[in-house]
Amino acid sequence: MTFRKLEPTRRSVLKSGISLGATAAVSAPFVNHAWAQDVSYDGEVFDAGGATLNIGEWGGGWEEFVRSALTDQFEKDFNCKINWDSSFPWFPKFVTQGPQDPVFDIANWNLPNLTQTKQAGDYFLSVDEVRENVPNAADCWSFAFASGAGVTWAYMPYVYAYRTDSGPAPSSFRDFWDDRFANKRGTYGTENGLMHAFFMATAQEFGTDQYDMNAAFEALENAMPMKVSEFTFNMLSLIERGEVDIAVHIEGEALSLKRKGVPMDVWLWDSRPILTQTKTISRYSDPMQKKLAFALLNRTLGAQFLNAFGDEFLWRPTNAKASITAQLAEAGVMNTPDAVEDFWVPDWDFFVENKLEITDRLNQIFGL
Amino acid sequence: MGRKIPLLVLVLAIAGFCYMLFPIVVVVLAGLTAGEFLTFPPQGLSLRWVVAFLQSDKYLSAFFFSFRLALMTMIVATIIGTAAALFLSRTRFVGRAAMRAFFLSPVVLPGVVVGFALFAFYISTGSSISRTIWGLWIGHILYSTPYVIGTVGAALAAFDISLEEAARSLGSSPWRAFRRVTLPNIGHGIQAGSIFAFIVSFGQFEVSLFLSAPNSEPLPIAMYNSLRYQFDPSAAAAGIFAITLVTASVLLTNRLVNIRRLLERQHA
Repeated sequence: MTFRKLEPTRRSVLKSGISLGATAAVSAPFVNHAWAQDVSYDGEVFDAGGATLNIGEWGGGWEEFVRSALTDQFEKDFNCKINWDSSFPWFPKFVTQGPQDPVFDIANWNLPNLTQTKQAGDYFLSVDEVRENVPNAADCWSFAFASGAGVTWAYMPYVYAYRTDSGPAPSSFRDFWDDRFANKRGTYGTENGLMHAFFMATAQEFGTDQYDMNAAFEALENAMPMKVSEFTFNMLSLIERGEVDIAVHIEGEALSLKRKGVPMDVWLWDSRPILTQTKTISRYSDPMQKKLAFALLNRTLGAQFLNAFGDEFLWRPTNAKASITAQLAEAGVMNTPDAVEDFWVPDWDFFVENKLEITDRLNQIFGL
Repeated sequence: MGRKIPLLVLVLAIAGFCYMLFPIVVVVLAGLTAGEFLTFPPQGLSLRWVVAFLQSDKYLSAFFFSFRLALMTMIVATIIGTAAALFLSRTRFVGRAAMRAFFLSPVVLPGVVVGFALFAFYISTGSSISRTIWGLWIGHILYSTPYVIGTVGAALAAFDISLEEAARSLGSSPWRAFRRVTLPNIGHGIQAGSIFAFIVSFGQFEVSLFLSAPNSEPLPIAMYNSLRYQFDPSAAAAGIFAITLVTASVLLTNRLVNIRRLLERQHA
């Protein structure tokens, strides 16, 4: 067998160069990404021609409700198909596929995970870009844009959920540390967003501000022994059984237990941090998908869906034109500028930057 | 006449069985609770969560999707696993032990690692099967096949190869000798392996977490989502049906094996 020795000549090099150049010139216009073709949305219904919209959203009962109250009709109105993925976490999926091949066109997030992804690359449209194309965003309170990468559409204040038959109701953030709650106080594992918020609020209460990690570590050490749960609904079962008398929780979910007749109530933290549901739109989604994402976010922020969602899950709307569900309104909750002015979103950028240290130390404190 | 078992061993065996069965009892009772949350012991007994499972489109579609996926996985894993076991037991070459370890590595590695590695592999190779049913299927096959290799390998180790050689010496073709002599002797190992593959695939969670396709949720993922967002006992009710299916498949296979044995005896 003979081998042909490769000896490039001036002519062959020139021919190869011309071929490569021609190939690149011909193929370049067909790079089908959003940075080449911008889209806008004006709030009207349009025909998407059967396009598929990839969304990352929670599953279970949440999915069943959101499908019936929002996305089923959306698919009919816009002639599109929604690919619903509820296999959390989103972060590794986004990072593995990279910003220019987004795993979801629109995704719903808790802020710690959203912030982590936002810091990892140019994945999402900025708040300003979203606001320009989502008409209903104009009616949202300012804290709806605190994430810097999406729009928060619903929120719940952090609360203590406590049993009313276990003694006096808590009246301050520090009541969680009362001796009577030793081993009857509940919080969450280090991957749960409620634990992250509790950590930041504890730093603010016991230290100089929300960034005072040492003060938070010391306070949480003093709070031991605690019952550590993974999920909020699991915590509700611990409260129902009387294994926990006071727990870090969120308003609506905790009140759902009260509605079932369990002797318990909630106390809003006086510093007023909130848990949020925030939707992002991927920067490099294809134009039709991006336009559909604008439309879906616009419908999500509409009063009709937010009212129905609030009635079902007791979340509060960020849209000033939506109403507070009757069950919260009866307890004096309002959706007015005065009522929402104290709410704040913890600095998740700071938390994510220090997450490894915080997680490591909290695991030591919890004995995990 | 039965063999005598030392009392201590008997006690330990019973304790071991109880320990293994206890989680199943907990799941069944928790799924039959009358209460609002997934707790044990149950707060009264009721079929309300079983009914809720049967009326849930989400759960039922997840259940039948998992069933179909496990069935498809079982078929392919049985074929590949049997072939791999034959290759490993019939060939002698340097690095055979390493190759056996390689075949079994999906079981040794954490499922999350296997799931994420496959997901990253699909993405990096530009294949379009990431987050599709086909990608998920490949993941399940990868994770289930070692169980078939293990059980068929054990059956082959106990099989006297001279029986097949005798058939060959009497003029039988290699395929005929395998089909008429070897296969009947290692059949139990193949059946056990296929059952394992089905069960492992049906209950697989970690691999599915990264590979499951939109709108096609396997049952374990649907149960996890239910626990995450509701924590109601419908997840345990789904567990009752999963346990029932797995138990039924094992019993059915045993039954089929026994029937075949009976038929063989009648022919003899």
